[in-house]
Amino acid sequence: MRDFLRPFGNSALARRTWLQLGLGGLAGGSLPGLLGLVQQAEAEEAGGGDQSTRRRPANCILIWMDGGPSHMETFDPKPDAPAEMRGEFKPIRTNVPGIEICEHLPKLAKIADKYAILRSVHHNQGNHGAGNHYMMTGAPPRIPVGCGAFVSFHPSLGSVAAHERSAPHGLPGYFSLPGMTRSGGPNFLGSEYAPFVVSDDPNSKDFRVRDLALPRGVDEARFRARRELRGLVDALPRIDDPAAADPVRTLDGHYEQGYQMVMTPEAQQAFQIEQEPDAIRDAYGRDPFGQRLLLARRLVESGVPFVTINQGGWDDHSELWSNLRKRLPPWDQAVATLISDLDDRGLLANTMVIALGEFGRTPKISTVSGRSSPGRDHWSSAMSILFAGAGTPGGQVIGATDRLGHAPIDRPLSPENFVSTVYTKLGIDPGKHFITPAGRPTFLVSDPTPIRELLG
Amino acid sequence: MAFFGFIRVRHLRLLVRAAVGVGFVIAPLSGLAKERDTTPDPAAVPTFERHIMPMLTARGCNGGGCHGKSGGQNGFALSLLGFDPEGDYQSLLMQSRGRRLNLSAPHESLLLQKATGAVPHGGGRRLDPDDEDTRLLLKWIADGGPRDPPGVPRLSHIVISPEPRPLEAGETIPLVVMAHDTDGSTRDVTAVTAFASNEPVIVSVQPDGVVTGGSLPGEASVMARFMGHIATWNTFVPRAGRIHADAWAALPVNNFIDEMAWRKLRAINILPSDPVDDATFLRRAFLDAIGRLPSPQEARRFLADANRRKRDQLVEALLERPEYADRWANLWADLVRPNPYRVGIKATLSLDTFLRDAFAHNLPYDRFVGELITATGSVWRNGAAVIYRDRRSPDEIVTLVSQLFLGVRLECAKCHQHPFEVYGQGDFYGLAAYFSRVGYAGKGLSPPISGGEESVIVKTSGEVTHPLTGAVLAPKPLGGNAAAEPVEGDRRVALMTWLRSPNHPTFAAAAVNRIWAEFFGVGLVDPVDDFRATNPSSNPELLAALATKFRDNAFDQKRLIALIMKSHLYGLSSMTNETNAGDHRNYSRHYRRRLRAEMIADAIDDVTGVPSNYAGAPPETRAARLWTHRTGSMFLDVFGRPDPNQDPPCERIGDATVVQAMHLMNGSHLQGKVSSDDGRVAALATGDIAPEAIVEELYLAAYSRLPTDAEKKQVLPMFSREGMTRRAAAEDLLWALMNTPEFIFVN
Repeated sequence: MRDFLRPFGNSALARRTWLQLGLGGLAGGSLPGLLGLVQQAEAEEAGGGDQSTRRRPANCILIWMDGGPSHMETFDPKPDAPAEMRGEFKPIRTNVPGIEICEHLPKLAKIADKYAILRSVHHNQGNHGAGNHYMMTGAPPRIPVGCGAFVSFHPSLGSVAAHERSAPHGLPGYFSLPGMTRSGGPNFLGSEYAPFVVSDDPNSKDFRVRDLALPRGVDEARFRARRELRGLVDALPRIDDPAAADPVRTLDGHYEQGYQMVMTPEAQQAFQIEQEPDAIRDAYGRDPFGQRLLLARRLVESGVPFVTINQGGWDDHSELWSNLRKRLPPWDQAVATLISDLDDRGLLANTMVIALGEFGRTPKISTVSGRSSPGRDHWSSAMSILFAGAGTPGGQVIGATDRLGHAPIDRPLSPENFVSTVYTKLGIDPGKHFITPAGRPTFLVSDPTPIRELLG
Repeated sequence: MAFFGFIRVRHLRLLVRAAVGVGFVIAPLSGLAKERDTTPDPAAVPTFERHIMPMLTARGCNGGGCHGKSGGQNGFALSLLGFDPEGDYQSLLMQSRGRRLNLSAPHESLLLQKATGAVPHGGGRRLDPDDEDTRLLLKWIADGGPRDPPGVPRLSHIVISPEPRPLEAGETIPLVVMAHDTDGSTRDVTAVTAFASNEPVIVSVQPDGVVTGGSLPGEASVMARFMGHIATWNTFVPRAGRIHADAWAALPVNNFIDEMAWRKLRAINILPSDPVDDATFLRRAFLDAIGRLPSPQEARRFLADANRRKRDQLVEALLERPEYADRWANLWADLVRPNPYRVGIKATLSLDTFLRDAFAHNLPYDRFVGELITATGSVWRNGAAVIYRDRRSPDEIVTLVSQLFLGVRLECAKCHQHPFEVYGQGDFYGLAAYFSRVGYAGKGLSPPISGGEESVIVKTSGEVTHPLTGAVLAPKPLGGNAAAEPVEGDRRVALMTWLRSPNHPTFAAAAVNRIWAEFFGVGLVDPVDDFRATNPSSNPELLAALATKFRDNAFDQKRLIALIMKSHLYGLSSMTNETNAGDHRNYSRHYRRRLRAEMIADAIDDVTGVPSNYAGAPPETRAARLWTHRTGSMFLDVFGRPDPNQDPPCERIGDATVVQAMHLMNGSHLQGKVSSDDGRVAALATGDIAPEAIVEELYLAAYSRLPTDAEKKQVLPMFSREGMTRRAAAEDLLWALMNTPEFIFVN
């Protein structure tokens, strides 16, 4: 029960009630019909919503630190903790007085005025699969799931963004690089809203995007000839009457979109990372992660609303500090460059940059049996999130954990609050009401209260 | 126009009522309170069940979006649509330190203050302070908030009048709902009944019960619900216009399917489409019956065959092919295949083996289900037992069994009264009681490895209790009148005996319906596993006849399939005539479907002549033979095979997406196969076969038909184009053929 957090007279609730008007008489009705009605009600509602949803919808680059980054070793250092909990790293000052972060994030420390740090998000899902699901969808998994699980009970942020928003030039609305996160799928929204996965490495010399670039052996002239030939051999008659809802016509639309993507210079340019000056590419870091962030910038520049960068390896049960000494500097460089680069181009005002994992890590240092070097284990009672852009007031820390990093002592926030904030900035009502194909009514977020400090 | 502004227009009398557990139908009902003859006499003593609960339901308080949702709203929980009077009474009177009802100062009651908007209420104003209901509520509180005294008549059932009949477009009929009480008395409860139409475009229903025929012809079911009781009013709107009697007389009748289908079409005044040509039938029959395309040789032979019975012969031959088992085992694998990360890889393979064996031997359906339901033994050796490894408690297995074998979605009734059915928790846990003595020996689940061997055993004890009352529930089948004999031994055997019996209302029908949908794209009951009064069959006569036939033929699936495929109905064209574009339920035309993921993957392998090499499977394994969706394949993922990580893991995505189009258009998967040196194109192009023969061969491979003369004329010049090789021309042609809907769809 989280509903007691919802303020009275919440406009999201009012809107939700309105949306239901169209749904009352539709027991057992078709999904398209239901969704159509929801959209219709939405359209009638256009112009409603509170101030924050009226802002121009922002795009989002979500940097997923899979495995669960240690909050103490990133954005919530605990220098006063006793030795068995403190760890090997020290805090450093940032360019914002009073805000300190880990010493291995020096580049981010120089631009702390451009982002907010959330230190009080917490939940109760200590397994990777479950934690990922909760943070990626705003909904806890309905049944207990294990660490190895990749589960989906609810649509992910990116899939919802693709469902509610669209990208120009035939581009998909949701990209995930280099793979989908565990719970990054569309669930009941349908496969159309699954992420477009770019598994290819933009750091490699001959980077091409699967299915978006022409396949090897097919140049543009041949592609055009094939397209023409396809027209000649495509003999299946279409059913003209719209009442017949000919699925072949839907497929025609998909081919048109595909052709548009392949043949539209703007769409193709989004992937032409080689057009970036060397100085920019170097600034992001000449590694797959850095170049993926650069590619993400190009995608949102082209109008793609949601890009996830899924980076694994943050599950440091052992060798935490030696791992992070290697992992943090390039991460710091790439993320700081992304924020600065977006800012320089005037894009930060309309682009969220968010970095998080599924949970934080245990304040107590421990050694996994069989390992020599210690680390920290899963800890969902506290975690840190970096949140920049799209009107987010920078230079602030929201919430605080106790002296040891165990749990929030100020402004405890939920995953629901977090995803509601992202939805709000995307221009999507977090209180939106959906009917699943199974006929089950469901809300986008059970507690659609965004984090007001981030709304600006 | 904001909702709250709307509702505050004081001059309108508003009736807010819960509908379908989702939300509210709101309509202005001017002067309703005056007309409503059900308004109780203010002098009478209002009681909880008889007066207050219907009010809470009618005002939307216990709807699924408000206090009726699991856990309630803002700390105040009511049962969904009032299925649990006891709990609701507790919630109102006892919880919240008695603040909800202030018996000494009724006006101060939080319930009233919230509902009238006197204090902020997330759900807005639900009662006007001057409303009759408000006065009634006040009186009830002032009386001490009594429950119904013993002996007060209870609601027995509800009846809708008039008798159902067809509606013309635009015609309206006011429905009247009468509540029949246990003392035989009746009262008009229309004004406080919730109505819903399952097809509002065809027949709409207003909150006051007035039904209206829409502009689209078709059938609809109007549901009325009052205090947990449901009645339905099934109707249809025939298409306008005249069809000459000769047209009906000319329709062929191959078997009873046609007879009954035509009867239904005649009632709704829709003519079926023309039959398809041989090539379309051939491709459709191959894909539907055995999940693969005919080879060019098979296609050539069939098309050239002059025998008038060749379609029937084709059907019989297909049913004897080995691919038949894979195609139908895959259907069931979609339904029962667990996530191997959960149950273990050996158990997953073991279940797959069971399924393929069953269909390879055409195991009669009742025995097939019996093997699953009464399974015991090692999950490594008896694949059927794996469903119990995956579903480990009675309440987990019961939803699977009811949905798969009874066609009843019982999930809702686990936690609350089913919002559009008669089923409640007593039914759910009564059925679950058949599974209360399933036990386990050996190594249980330890995800993500779960490697151990486990056996399913039958225990001598174990009961299921009602979650609200705590009472031990005896096994009770869902619906129908099962013999109430005491159950001894394995309770599941008793359940199976009941399922098999000729009196079971849905066991055979659910099976027939599922198979039917594989051939026609939509079930007679749709969705195929959602049998309920409020979701009627589009052709009850036909479904009943098919179910009877299936049972009479000892549940022989092949004989049922042969019957279906030999009907004239199955061979109709997908193209519309002047009468049937709007028909999506009565099979007056064939409904186009995209090929399933495995079918299209195997079709590409067959057409290009280049097999896929799936990891962990022997070379040349077909996608239809894969036994776990963990086998990596980007192609199958893109085309929507079930994702074992989804919940449930069997959700198959059949729709077309732009990613699929891109994958065929630009993917290295198809391009690699088209241009392979070992493929069909290379073999055709390197010989000295005439271009015309190459074109014919590629058309036969991809489309199962020969190109028309016009098509040949259009395509052939490409082979002699400047700078074009035979190989490149053939590659381009095959690429083009496999990127069209004629290839991607079952037409």
